[in-house]
Amino acid sequence: MSETNQPNNPGSSRRSILSWFSGAALAGSAAISALANFVFMKPRATYGQPSRYSIGRPDDYPSGARVSLDQRRVCVVREGGKLAVISTICTHLGCTVGVSDTGFACPCHGSRYDQDGNVVGGPAPKSLAWYQVSLAPNGELEVDTNIAVDQGTYYNL
Amino acid sequence: MSEPSVQVPPPVETAAPQSFLSGLLAMPRTMWDSLFRHPLPDSDLGASQTSFSNFFLHIHPVKVHRNTLRPFYTMGLGVMSFVTFVVLGVTGILLMFYYVPSTTQAYDRMLDLRGSVAFGTFLRNLHRWSAHAMVAIVFLHMCRVFLTGSYKRPREFNWVIGCILLLLTLFASFTGYLLPWDQLAFWAITVGTSIAAYAPLIGKKLQFLLLGDQAVGQEALLRFYVLHVVVLPALITLLVAIHFWRIRKDGGLSRPVEADLPPGAAPRRFEIVSADSTGKQTFGLMGFVRGPFTKVGNVPDNTVYAWPNLLIAELFVFVVAVAGLLLVSLFFNAPLEEPVNVLHPPNPAKAPWYFLGLQELVSYSAFWGGVGVPGIEVALLMLVPYIDRKVSGVGKWFARERFLANTLFVSFAVLNVIFIIIGTFFRGPNWTMVSPF
Repeated sequence: MSETNQPNNPGSSRRSILSWFSGAALAGSAAISALANFVFMKPRATYGQPSRYSIGRPDDYPSGARVSLDQRRVCVVREGGKLAVISTICTHLGCTVGVSDTGFACPCHGSRYDQDGNVVGGPAPKSLAWYQVSLAPNGELEVDTNIAVDQGTYYNL
Repeated sequence: MSEPSVQVPPPVETAAPQSFLSGLLAMPRTMWDSLFRHPLPDSDLGASQTSFSNFFLHIHPVKVHRNTLRPFYTMGLGVMSFVTFVVLGVTGILLMFYYVPSTTQAYDRMLDLRGSVAFGTFLRNLHRWSAHAMVAIVFLHMCRVFLTGSYKRPREFNWVIGCILLLLTLFASFTGYLLPWDQLAFWAITVGTSIAAYAPLIGKKLQFLLLGDQAVGQEALLRFYVLHVVVLPALITLLVAIHFWRIRKDGGLSRPVEADLPPGAAPRRFEIVSADSTGKQTFGLMGFVRGPFTKVGNVPDNTVYAWPNLLIAELFVFVVAVAGLLLVSLFFNAPLEEPVNVLHPPNPAKAPWYFLGLQELVSYSAFWGGVGVPGIEVALLMLVPYIDRKVSGVGKWFARERFLANTLFVSFAVLNVIFIIIGTFFRGPNWTMVSPF
């Protein structure tokens, strides 16, 4: 047995290479398994709200209306022939902001926004998102929360 | 005792029973003997043998330093943390029999616990208050270890394990917070997971992975449930085992250098436990265990047998802790708010008290309050034993040599407590300053 450990013995280097490969293969398998767990944990389909949905006909929102759709967590704003949909998810930590006289106010950490969703106070890091609005063929308005538009971008009815 | 106690162990009975009947008659005795390898100890040797051959006692050392048993040195906080964890495990398993992690059922099950489950209210109270107690006691235990300088060599890594256990305790508590599916639960988790989203690079992915969806819902409830009842308890159990094991491998609890030889104490002659009185020494396994407790020859020693000294101390802490938890649970009911209303966050929406310091910080800046400052604090805390390498002042509360380290630690602890107090009592609707008086 002792001669196999001598450096010039060909069996010794073969053994060390084999053990190196086995070690690398084991470590690699462990790493891939760990990664596979993360892939598994990330859902491919979610069961929550769809990102595109209808909010009804334009006539449902009279001029000057600021209607908070609580279930969708958006606020529909209509001014004359223009309409926009502003997110009511606080950009700070995801609470639902309430519609107030001056704009929006968050109950969780006191962030305040103006009528257009600009931050006027509190810890919120950025203004509220505006979502894309379009008119579906059936005459209903459709919102896509995956597509954010620039602030002040109204849909012209 | 000044002389080593030497005792001949009971002879091993090798003879076969004389007859079938006598074997049958001896059955209870045989069964008992097969269950307990050693009788209740009545001598020092018996104490060590019983400790060595019993699974549950084996976690204890055979001998323990007198300093370890000083009540005001440890305050029993480590054992107390473990007791709360055990109580949480038992009550948690019992509650699992009546709980369903579903958004449509969870809240009703909470009401059922109140209305139609025997001891339901009491078990939920016990689980809730033990969870609060565990967070507080684990934190106090950490303060004790720091303020006595016990994280120093060779206990550096056990301190790191302790820090991880504190984080796991907080995470276990946080995941449990969602399960009742009331307003408090929903909005505390909404806020808490949004804090995670502020982590650089991986934040958003981490939040999605935690919630299993874009917002808190059924997927999040199921994920938090699995984490809360399986993953985190298993991790905590494993780390607690390592934590305990390392205490012994690191030479027991920390103590001042002079505690090993108190002034005026005569060194003992022998410390080896011999199983033989003929002079031919056959050493028990306990004579060869590594670490400071191996005493061969003329070694000063200030230890006592773990049985019964340590066991009684632990039993005392256990009884006091359980009695306290039972009393609180009998007189105070765990809060349960309105069922989840995704549309209307309560105003103000507050996290559990131990996260209110964080929430207060978060109200100034989400990144710095939720990720930056706590991240730096945790990193510093874990690195403390590798930064502070001075060996002086170990084993004494508020040692003069450790004035700077202790002052810094106490300042940080007090600062966190102040933020918690502000968040708890001084914050009203829209997180504006209000007076609680």
